[in-house]
Amino acid sequence: MRRSRFTWLPILLIIALLLILPKLVSEYRLNLVITMMIYSIFALSYNMLFGQGGLLSFGHAAYFGFGAYATVILIKHFSLSLPMGILIGGLAGAFLGVTFGVFVVRMRGVSFALLTLAFNQLIYVTAEKWRTVTGGEDGIAFMRPNLHLGGWEIDLWATLNWYYFVLLVTVICIGCLWYLTLTPLGRLNLCMRENEERASFIGFNTYASRLLIYTLAGFFAGVAGGLAAAFQEFVTTTFINLDKATDVLMMTFIGGGGTFFGPVIGACALTLVNDLLSSWIERWAIVQGGLFILLVLYAPNGLSGIYLSLREQWDKRKRGEQPS
Amino acid sequence: MDALSIIPIQFLHGLVYGMLLFLVASGLTLIFGMMGVLNFAHGALYMLGAYFSYSILRWTGQFWLCMIVAPLLVGAIGILIERFLLRKVHIHGHAHELLLTFGLAYIIEEIVKWVWGNQPLHVEVPAMLSGSIQFLGITYPTYRLFILLISVAVFAVLFIILYKTRAGIIVTAAVSRSEMVNALGINVPLVFMLLFGVGGALAGLAGVIGGPYLITNPGMAGTIIIDLFVVVVVGGLGSLPGALLASFLIGELQSFGILFVPQMAIALEFLLMAVVLIVKPEGLLGEKA
Repeated sequence: MRRSRFTWLPILLIIALLLILPKLVSEYRLNLVITMMIYSIFALSYNMLFGQGGLLSFGHAAYFGFGAYATVILIKHFSLSLPMGILIGGLAGAFLGVTFGVFVVRMRGVSFALLTLAFNQLIYVTAEKWRTVTGGEDGIAFMRPNLHLGGWEIDLWATLNWYYFVLLVTVICIGCLWYLTLTPLGRLNLCMRENEERASFIGFNTYASRLLIYTLAGFFAGVAGGLAAAFQEFVTTTFINLDKATDVLMMTFIGGGGTFFGPVIGACALTLVNDLLSSWIERWAIVQGGLFILLVLYAPNGLSGIYLSLREQWDKRKRGEQPS
Repeated sequence: MDALSIIPIQFLHGLVYGMLLFLVASGLTLIFGMMGVLNFAHGALYMLGAYFSYSILRWTGQFWLCMIVAPLLVGAIGILIERFLLRKVHIHGHAHELLLTFGLAYIIEEIVKWVWGNQPLHVEVPAMLSGSIQFLGITYPTYRLFILLISVAVFAVLFIILYKTRAGIIVTAAVSRSEMVNALGINVPLVFMLLFGVGGALAGLAGVIGGPYLITNPGMAGTIIIDLFVVVVVGGLGSLPGALLASFLIGELQSFGILFVPQMAIALEFLLMAVVLIVKPEGLLGEKA
């Protein structure tokens, strides 16, 4: 998590690039970038647990999906505005996070993975069977409402406007998640990963802190879910199933949980590669699985971990030391 | 059929599925209890057993041959996985082992789709097992009773080996004091490797006999792995009798769940798993860690 002031420059450049992107690429590519941004929020929320907290969850899709359903149902039945709907999606994710978190954050390691999996399946089965509310496997379709700002009405159905809306939400969310890593709570999260016993001896309430972190992770997953549902104008059980839960794990792991932006790299890389290569290379999924296993074997900190270790070697060489 | 006679039939259905589940779970339980590795790929190994059996049956037409060859092949794959992949990530801890086997499960599923296709395959059972048997006034398919018989036999053999022989004593000792057993001159890594092979072979055998009963399709690994995790958690980490009890419970829970609360049936087992993890994290028959 070492950062120097120079890192602001690439971040500002990327934001500037994203701002002028609609001038540069086709509408199809723009939709791809929207998907990347949504999954970036999802993967970053997951990394609060996985990378920063050292907890392997197989159930993060529950909060993504719960948020998505909350957004869709409230917009559809109570004609809420879109920002309100997405905020409520986040709050729904946080609510579910605190409800399950009470039990889950007591666990470690394999028990944590299994209990999150069990809760994920509970929510999935509920969504599948409670047809009167969720529409079962058919899901719920709805219209993305227009945005009213004072007297202005912005047509969010137009890809361009929708792109800027998602960009705004993404920048806000990533900014909050970044700020969280700088707060005492974010630091404590790392500390508990390294040595929980010591953290509690210093006087921190590790249970309450973990619960708060789990709730916040649920909140941002819920926001991502709400955005994803608004993007597809549709929500169905695939938002909660085990594939969704393992997708976010793959993104985060491949990008690397050890750095803040690793999960973003993973989310963008997997989205892009799935879109480009799946049509070129037959059986791309086997390659993806193979890449994942190679990373687990040889680069347990993912792509950003490879970059960091290369940079370290480079620095050493510059100082005239023998590379290790 | 009247309401009373449906209960013994449902009970038998639950028993058969439960015992098949136990057959798959036994290998997973042994590996988890001994090495602490929760093998996400275990369901995929079970699926490979079913597909190998399908292909061997098409080439030779011998179901009994499948029951020998397919488990051996899957066991060999299990040994390779342990020796060349799992052992490498062991130092990174259990979470990494879980990630590795998760990646393996993902790849195996994709390979199965590639080689055998997405469509469900029909596997013929041998003529002598294809009819049904009448007993106690119930007519029941012979093949399901055959599953029951094989599962009970495997439990008996495993139980005797594990608790009554020298090999079993080594295995159970290595569960709790792996370093000590190593120091006594027993090659623990070799034991781990062989155990992984036996676990794989058991999953393969379950695949062979489960294939014709539950349809052979690329989704069968994903379906059973969740049930397997429930069994391992509910029964207790590494406890063979615990796995038997949990498999039985889950089989009956599903069978009667569908009968009485069809909407809630699938949710029941996850509720059970969550409650056990929260109230008694070591499982029903597991020892406290």
